[in-house]
Amino acid sequence: MTNTSGTYNFKVVLLGEGCVGKTSLLLRYIEDKFNDKHLTTLQATFLNKKLNINGKRINLSIWDTAGQEKFHALGPIYYRNSNGAILVYDITDEDSFGKVKNWVKELKKMLGSEIVLVIAGNKIDLEHERTVPLEEAESYAKMVGARHFYTSAKLNQGVEDLFLELTREMTERLEQNTLSEVTRTSRVLVVDDETPVQSSCCSGSKSN
Amino acid sequence: MEGSYDEIVSENPFFVEFKNEYTNLFQHCIAQSWIICVPRIGSLTSRVFAIEDFCAHILVPSDELPESHYSTLTEKQVTVANKVITLEVTKGLPLQSHILFEETFYTEDFIKYKVWCIESPLEPTTKTGDNLTTKEYLASINDCIDLLWTQAAGRQVLDQIEQSVQLFLKKQPLPIAIGPLRDSISELYTQCLQYALQNRRLREKSKSCKMTLENIKIAVECYMQQLLFGSIFKHICTFGAYEDSHLNKKIRNMNDIQLKDLDIKKELFHSVPKAKQILSKIDTFNTVLEKVLCLKQALNAINEIDSSNNIVLLTADDLLPVFVFLVIKSGLPNWYSQLTYMKEFRFSGVGRGDGDESTFLITTLEAVIEHIQSGALSGPPNPESYYYESNLAEENVNGRQRKNSLTESISTSDTNPRDETLEHVFELIKANHSEQVQAILLRNKRNLESIKENVNDILKVSLDKEFDDIDDDSESESELYEKLCHPLCNCKRCCSKISKNLLKTSPTVASRDGHGLTPLHVASIHGKATIVELLIEMDAEIDATDLNECTPLHYAATRGHQNALLLLLHSGANINQTNIDKNTPLHLCVNNGHLNCVKALIYFAEHCRIKLMINSTNENGNTPLHLASKWGYEGIARLLIENGAEPSLQNRHNKTSFDYAHNLKILQVLKSVTPNLYEYIHITSTDVKTLKFSDNSLNLKQLKSKFKIHENNTSKTVENLKTIERILKAISFGDVKLACFYMNIDYLSYKDNKSNKALCHPLCECQSCKKTKGTQTDYDVNYPDSNGLTALHCAARYGLDELSNILILNNANVNCQNKRGQTPLHLAALNNKPVVINLLLNNGANINAIDHSGNTPLHDASEMGNIGAAKVLLNYNPDITMFNGSEKTALSVAKEKVHLTIIDLIEKHASKL
Repeated sequence: MTNTSGTYNFKVVLLGEGCVGKTSLLLRYIEDKFNDKHLTTLQATFLNKKLNINGKRINLSIWDTAGQEKFHALGPIYYRNSNGAILVYDITDEDSFGKVKNWVKELKKMLGSEIVLVIAGNKIDLEHERTVPLEEAESYAKMVGARHFYTSAKLNQGVEDLFLELTREMTERLEQNTLSEVTRTSRVLVVDDETPVQSSCCSGSKSN
Repeated sequence: MEGSYDEIVSENPFFVEFKNEYTNLFQHCIAQSWIICVPRIGSLTSRVFAIEDFCAHILVPSDELPESHYSTLTEKQVTVANKVITLEVTKGLPLQSHILFEETFYTEDFIKYKVWCIESPLEPTTKTGDNLTTKEYLASINDCIDLLWTQAAGRQVLDQIEQSVQLFLKKQPLPIAIGPLRDSISELYTQCLQYALQNRRLREKSKSCKMTLENIKIAVECYMQQLLFGSIFKHICTFGAYEDSHLNKKIRNMNDIQLKDLDIKKELFHSVPKAKQILSKIDTFNTVLEKVLCLKQALNAINEIDSSNNIVLLTADDLLPVFVFLVIKSGLPNWYSQLTYMKEFRFSGVGRGDGDESTFLITTLEAVIEHIQSGALSGPPNPESYYYESNLAEENVNGRQRKNSLTESISTSDTNPRDETLEHVFELIKANHSEQVQAILLRNKRNLESIKENVNDILKVSLDKEFDDIDDDSESESELYEKLCHPLCNCKRCCSKISKNLLKTSPTVASRDGHGLTPLHVASIHGKATIVELLIEMDAEIDATDLNECTPLHYAATRGHQNALLLLLHSGANINQTNIDKNTPLHLCVNNGHLNCVKALIYFAEHCRIKLMINSTNENGNTPLHLASKWGYEGIARLLIENGAEPSLQNRHNKTSFDYAHNLKILQVLKSVTPNLYEYIHITSTDVKTLKFSDNSLNLKQLKSKFKIHENNTSKTVENLKTIERILKAISFGDVKLACFYMNIDYLSYKDNKSNKALCHPLCECQSCKKTKGTQTDYDVNYPDSNGLTALHCAARYGLDELSNILILNNANVNCQNKRGQTPLHLAALNNKPVVINLLLNNGANINAIDHSGNTPLHDASEMGNIGAAKVLLNYNPDITMFNGSEKTALSVAKEKVHLTIIDLIEKHASKL
């Protein structure tokens, strides 16, 4: 998703059960030093971050989602058209890891390989209370083709790496896609690509 | 929108030169993670920079406060607070500059450094460049118009946009589906933008600054939307009519939902009213820009203040439930269409990706609507519980505790008398344990009766204070009886014990809780038909009212429980009972979109020949049709219209149902009735519309056979009521033929015989004479409708002299009165129909008839200033000295209204006497 000036606009959704620390991760990453009053940034549910990686301008829009089970059905509304998803679980809570697995399944089904997935095991500051085995998490991530990170929003560990890696992968994925599409057919396809996604969403919501 | 300023920093000349010419310093900065400030493009005039210029723009974090205090390489102290850099200068005011945005750079080997793009240079000496207000963001339609006007130096761009919009609206009927509509408007937008950029000034400015171009795009779009909105929004609402009405039904039915039901944090409660107020204004904005801004403001108004008075950031977990609550409570009838408008008619944002803030806000709204629509919310678990708890803060705790204890009590044995509180019975009703309810209530009833037999005269004795120390709350009934002097003793002491016990622990069908709810209310709220039936059998009071003056019927209607509703109706519940807000059950079920209950009410009323007040108004003057129209319930609106609802009635805000219709489908339904507006459209006998009707004889036969069948039928009255309604309607159209047809009168024979009405001879038996005599109808022309109006009343009102004559010949009573005591003569006088007045008076109408407010026809004519009527009336020598209900003669009425001609007429008449 580029605009005329060559800036990449990426949409990233944060998914995961409530209380796993999605919002803390997000706030830690943005570390909005020059802004005491966060009010202008629409609470902590939507944040923008401008990056410039090796000369490529990237505008990250990070969307936080509600983690309660009752809002699970709203997932598709949030994650459609997103370029990346960060699936957060709490290493001290096995259920939250199970939730991540569900999300991965759903995202793969709905969006295929269009979306870049990153799994984050949060709260490594509570390593001694860990219940999700390290190997299990990492091998699962490998299996579904997602990068796995250990993070601690509290100690500011791994947060920046997580976002940086995600951004790099999204950039790569996008460049590959545009390259292959340009070689395959005309540029029209790029535009075409979006419409079926939208129409299917519309019809889906109507049938409900 | 705020913070949306953007430029490509790596192309900024200041930054480029720094990076290329002073590589060493630049690398050093990166290694030290110093912050580089870059003045935005255009804010620096000179293109020649010295090393000092760069040094002044490098911020080194201080050791103590690295977050907020910095020093530049030129040894100046800098503080950063709330997106503003403040530079201390030796003299004068400190220099300030806004931080427009931060960009995090990564080098090839992933070393991170930060660049701040700032509004103006950090040097007091530097001349600032052009004063183009690039940071300015557009917040309203006025900003947009300002921008287009000032930047283009004239209003020709605005005019051009306006012209193309008008051309667009004139050119074609609007597409009938949302897709084509969006496409055609998108095309219009492109066209408008082209016009705008053909303007030389705008083109140059947008070339020099990317931000200006973005703003121009938004401004053009907004101005276009502002002009289009009135024409297209009704269409958009029509596309979304189905979704909207379903959403409204969902929302109406959970309207009494409370914050605690949505698991919303208590800390947020205080901000909800303000947010709600902001959000409910969303429909006053015409442009997508303003609507989105309204969403943003509403969400930002939801905040949490911690103990030290700081604002705490909200997470999505907290925000979404509050937003759901706001949408439910906002009272807007067309959320789905609002969403569609915002979602589909944003054109300027295209190209900025799908992730910007506006998209996020719109998506959040979509998620909220989807959530409500999905039915995941089912309203408050205990709909009547909000009566119990008035204090929000205590609600949560109490509610949960009580619930627990009650669920426990159900599981424990039901013979335990301690559980036999009214609340326990209510819980049993909710759980549909009809047998247990019956057992408890019957036993208590028997106890009550047996006690009554013994002590019936002493029960009334008031409780003396000396007995207060006896606490029998926890005593079972058997224990209580043991404590009495003798089981049948009726001394004061024993009686008070018993009555106290009765009051506290023995619920019967007639008991009420603190809010006046009886068991029948609770059963109706929860739609437990078997229990409703049971309670009715046990002689529960059908029309018992609670503190809100609601009867069980109100609750059954509100909640859409058709079975309970019908049971109540069949047991004689008052169908037109009003509650404290003057709502009838019909209002309530229409409001909540329960078509099945609306049908039940209407058909029941029809079947049992009860008059259902279909146009009754509530406290706000709304009729049920107002509500159906507002919430877009097409089926209900049609049903109401078919049953005589009147769309042009005004409510307290002088709004009719037409005003509330927000989509074309509803409007069509409402309009289907307009020809019947005989109360409002004045039909005179000269512009009579004649309805065509063919196969006259066939209909007549059918009608006749119908009559025959119904002669023996019990529901003849209903049939008659229907017929008279049809007749009056026909008369209101001025269609004499049709009216005669309905009354079974052979109209043609009257018409033919008009010229030679007289018989050849009183006893003549020739054909023509026979015809005249034989036309006496078997239909009773004096049959009144529910307002007491007969056909003759109606004919008189509309001045149909021909029909009046026919009616009189068919034995119509010229002096019959309607419910307000008015004779046909009154109506003719009120509506100034001199010919009919003449006819009526010639046929024995009482010139001095008085209606219920004491008015004679002459009073009416004077009141209305009907000169013609007054003249004719005066010819028949009325009693002009008669007083009406307010002790006035016809003359004083005329004087009061200053009808000079009439004053003159009456005075002349008086002088003649």
